[in-house]
Amino acid sequence: MSKKEKILLKASIVFAAVFAIVPAANAMHIMEGYLPAKYCVAWGVVCLPFLIAGFISLKNKVKENRRNLTLIAMSGAFIFVISSLKIPSVTGSCSHMTGTGLGAILFGPASVSVLGVIVLLFQALLLAHGGLTTLGANTFSMAIAGPVVSFGIYKLCQKINVNRRVGIFLAAFLGDLFTYCVTSIQLAFAYPSEAGGVGASAVKFLGVFAPTQIPLAVIEGILTVVIVIGLETYAKPELRSIGFFKNKKGETQDE
Amino acid sequence: MIIIDKLCYRSKLRYVSAAEKLLYAVSSLMICVLTRSYAAALIVFIANGILTVGKGKIPLSCYVRLLMIPIVFLIVGTGAVFLNLSKVPMDAFAVPVGEIYITASRESAFWAVNLCITALAAVTCLYFLSLNTTMTDILGALRKMHMPRLLIELMMLIYRFVFILLHTASAIMTAQEARLGNRDYRTQLRAFGKMLTALFFISLRKANALYDAMEARGYDGTINVLERNTPAKKKEMILLAVFELVLIIVAAAERMI
Repeated sequence: MSKKEKILLKASIVFAAVFAIVPAANAMHIMEGYLPAKYCVAWGVVCLPFLIAGFISLKNKVKENRRNLTLIAMSGAFIFVISSLKIPSVTGSCSHMTGTGLGAILFGPASVSVLGVIVLLFQALLLAHGGLTTLGANTFSMAIAGPVVSFGIYKLCQKINVNRRVGIFLAAFLGDLFTYCVTSIQLAFAYPSEAGGVGASAVKFLGVFAPTQIPLAVIEGILTVVIVIGLETYAKPELRSIGFFKNKKGETQDE
Repeated sequence: MIIIDKLCYRSKLRYVSAAEKLLYAVSSLMICVLTRSYAAALIVFIANGILTVGKGKIPLSCYVRLLMIPIVFLIVGTGAVFLNLSKVPMDAFAVPVGEIYITASRESAFWAVNLCITALAAVTCLYFLSLNTTMTDILGALRKMHMPRLLIELMMLIYRFVFILLHTASAIMTAQEARLGNRDYRTQLRAFGKMLTALFFISLRKANALYDAMEARGYDGTINVLERNTPAKKKEMILLAVFELVLIIVAAAERMI
């Protein structure tokens, strides 16, 4: 082995070792300090109206019945836990669910916006996913845009009588994809490409994150179907308590 | 179960005033992100390393491993910022692929390095805060800043519930493992879904039981806890102010050059 080859070998070992201990591919949180200051502020401002609306709706729920406080808090903890558990994946790398689709279907987009911002703060502090300065951008993509799309598709599928499982799958799957697209566009706005501007840059970001995000979205869709169907079978009274079923008899006609 | 949470209770800096640590972390973070100065970022990176590992006695191996968490995002994201697909080659280098080039300009190479350094320095600020301050202290500091009460209450409850749920989840997963629930990929996915289903209704049941228990003990909408009072020390505050001032001056000087 020549000297150059030895160096190359060592470098490749180091490279492999770095990747082996890295818990790869979490949901697409923009890391701390990655966005320029003005974008941090701008995305935060964009989130504000949604958060205020969500906060008022939560406040009313708690005022209505104080028992709701522990329920809402437990829902928040549930979203945090599903996004922190490793999901089984084919390649052996570990990835996490985002939980946005499930959260939106179960709790509605208004509650999810406020719970989402709390969960994202905890993820930044406890798991080092995302960060404080990028909290606004991450909140917009994961706690507002994704859940709103999920919820919209879920309702739409119900209206036009798509098979229930397919509807839930599509809601979670497309919600996840939308989150990933929004994050890519956020990054593209902050770092427009020298050749082609924001558009070309968005394509680049979409491209580099696609290999991890698209399989993840499929898996998340499947898991969400398993969970929602499971809940409807075993946990009717609990679902009623969070307002998932409006009428007492209601089997599949929820909210 | 959550490594950062475990470590922060062991930190030697745990009993330093939470407001002070919060102020330090957030102001350094803001200076890094606002100025994007190489020197300031380097100083912050080193200072946080000394504070967290040297003063806080967080094991170096843990600290390094934690710093690796965002590195995949950093590599992939910066790669996308830095590389371009273009028909015209740029000045740093160009690798032809068919008719187009994978290429980068000098300017964007500097940008990429700057981005990496700033982001890593920012991450160490976050780690300084989370590895040396317990969540309850952070929430206490936020309460003093007059965040809405409901929000703080929710955050406190969520923080407590997270551990109960993680514990339950890991018990269910152990049981599934023992019953060949992870036999193949299909079973694995189904088992994971079922675990979350079970977790969901266990969690709601627990929430109800908890409310009953709190109500029985006279819960009236606020949970009052005694806090350890750790006022900020004058000497530390002066040091903090000097440090931030130095950062600003260094960043300004760099811009002049």
